[in-house]
Amino acid sequence: MARKSFMYAVLEAVQHEMRQDKDMIWIFELTPPVASTPGKPVINLEKEFGRKRVVNTGIDENWMASCVLGAGLAGSKAVTYIPYQGNCMCFQVIQNHAGKLRHMSGGGASMPVVFLLEMTGQTPGFAGQHSDYEIDTYYAHIAGVKTVVPSTPTDAKGMMAAAIQDPNPVCYLYAGGLRELIEEVPDNQYTTPLDKAAVRTTGGDITIVGSGGGMPEVLKATAVLQKQGMKVETIDLRCLKPMDTETLVKSVRKTKRLLTVDQSYYTLCPGAEVIARVAENVTGARYKRVAFPDAPPPASPEMFLWMRPNAEHVVGAARKLVG
Amino acid sequence: MTQTQSTEAARAPAKNDSIHSESRRTFMKLAAGAGAAVSVTSKLAWANGEIGFWAKDLPSDKLTEMFNTIVRIRWYERTCVDKMITDPKYRGYNHFYPGQEAVAVGVCAALNNKGPFNELDLVYSTHRPSGHAIAKGADLKKMAAEYEFRATGLNGGYAGEMHISDKSCGFIGADGMIGPGHVIATGSAFAFRARGSKQVSVVFGGDGTYATPHFHGALNNAALLQLPFIYVLENNLYHQYAHYSYSCPMKDIASAAKTYGIAGVVVDGQDVFQVYNAAKTAVDRARAGEGPTLIEAKTYRYYNHWGAPGAKPGQLGAFGYDPLAISSFRPEREVRAWMARDPVDICRDTLITWGVFDRAKADAIEAAAKKEAIEAFEWADKQPFCKPEDGLKNVFVEGAVPARQFG
Repeated sequence: MARKSFMYAVLEAVQHEMRQDKDMIWIFELTPPVASTPGKPVINLEKEFGRKRVVNTGIDENWMASCVLGAGLAGSKAVTYIPYQGNCMCFQVIQNHAGKLRHMSGGGASMPVVFLLEMTGQTPGFAGQHSDYEIDTYYAHIAGVKTVVPSTPTDAKGMMAAAIQDPNPVCYLYAGGLRELIEEVPDNQYTTPLDKAAVRTTGGDITIVGSGGGMPEVLKATAVLQKQGMKVETIDLRCLKPMDTETLVKSVRKTKRLLTVDQSYYTLCPGAEVIARVAENVTGARYKRVAFPDAPPPASPEMFLWMRPNAEHVVGAARKLVG
Repeated sequence: MTQTQSTEAARAPAKNDSIHSESRRTFMKLAAGAGAAVSVTSKLAWANGEIGFWAKDLPSDKLTEMFNTIVRIRWYERTCVDKMITDPKYRGYNHFYPGQEAVAVGVCAALNNKGPFNELDLVYSTHRPSGHAIAKGADLKKMAAEYEFRATGLNGGYAGEMHISDKSCGFIGADGMIGPGHVIATGSAFAFRARGSKQVSVVFGGDGTYATPHFHGALNNAALLQLPFIYVLENNLYHQYAHYSYSCPMKDIASAAKTYGIAGVVVDGQDVFQVYNAAKTAVDRARAGEGPTLIEAKTYRYYNHWGAPGAKPGQLGAFGYDPLAISSFRPEREVRAWMARDPVDICRDTLITWGVFDRAKADAIEAAAKKEAIEAFEWADKQPFCKPEDGLKNVFVEGAVPARQFG
């Protein structure tokens, strides 16, 4: 165990897999696969595995995603890190190729590949094209790819290991705003399932469901509400597809109140799917959704920070539901 | 160092002889066949044996204005650098343009930047947009306010530096992405051709754009349809923190023009008049219906990719290790070598040599530009902040969208 940052935890998982499998490749642009943490050796995949396996490409996310898909079809495990500026440039190849090839080939195609898609949504000032978060909805909508969004360094490592070992294509969403998170993470390689939500706190008054970059604020709100005497069951969704319906339904059967929190746009946000699944299985529950309005993120911090869901918004909405 | 750079620039055309010959042939054809596009003054330069050296024929006030624009960009940016590193309350950021001013000014001086919208030449920019915006005609005060996210900024605080735009001068705007803007710019060129307009569409892109599929999409379609489109590729050697050799197998990206059978030219991006000559030739070609041009301007940025790491107040340029660069790093000698061929100096010295103005006049122009920039940032500091709920406006033409963050 040692304290590790989010990206250190991710690269530790990748490094382990690349040491086991001499064919595995990593494609990046602009963001070098380098991470350090106090008291541990620096991880530098490019240096350790060489430029035949780890390559810094030109700015071409379409090629990056296509390259790892092609590598997968040829029998090699492959991961690409698409930075947030380009996380939809490669949409077509993931949606129309990675998502469909297994099915179209009658089960023939094997694609042990991971698309590590960085997303932001955390930064006032960057605006529009550099602040969006909604790819959680976009990628989760695709049939045939698994889409996960870890929110802690510990999950980040376990889910990356699981994603690489998974024979299916996996969209691994990385909320850039979590890069500052540091916590104790085991040194050994371990896997965290790609289809299970995590119950972070248990309680009988209300279920609050969040994911990815929104989780720190959801947990902050949970602490405030608990202090005020509310018994909150907070769930970190972690996996958008497949979604862990069982855990969600089990919780709301108990609490009868469900609040979802998303940094994604309101319309079709992951919370909308959560509510739909619960509503199909639980009777007599009440629902509420906190999400980013259906507007692009503006540059001005006054506008952006008012619009982005935060702990205060979550506390207010929870009180309205439980009140 | 000056000598090395000059030799380098002089050598480039020889290597691309075929490109240049081709573009020269196109020029000859244009000069012979399309009288309307070649002015009387431009024939003068030709008569003097300096084919395509249009800058020498420009009136003194236009040449002076080009110098003025270069120093206005320089001081807007330098004032912004100092703001970022000395004023803890300053919230703006910037992808600094100093070092590249001659490219924006040389190109935009060849364009129509004033008048009704349907007569303006359009410019599509990058996420390093300050120079392009100022050269096209955007107001410094409104820009400074926008960079600080104020309600009275150029785009009402919605844009920030990376997305500024100003329709009134045909500045379609900055683009945070790499690639798509180039293809979109060809769409504007297509519209111009379809409606029989003489407007041209210009896109600025960096060396990183070569790797994108959009580079091909833009040039291939522009060539196929002979669009009035000009691709100005500012090769400042680095896309973000990676040298362009990571994204392009050729030394001269303009060599790609050959693939599409279009005019391609390498210019010294530190010399505003060389850039202007290439741009004017390209604009004449485009207006005459002779198709697109790829201009590669060899240039350099004095600051790091983003923000002001390594910069000091009052000092031009940023030196030393940029923690954001992680594994790549620009040698300080490289930065200094390029700074020795500064676009401000080259422009000033050329115009003094040409007798357009003397050093005292040049100094006065630069001092006024500095004052204007400082006043712009002071004005911006006093502007009102945005109203939070205005974030819900401007999503559609009409009305506002509902708030959803409160549940």
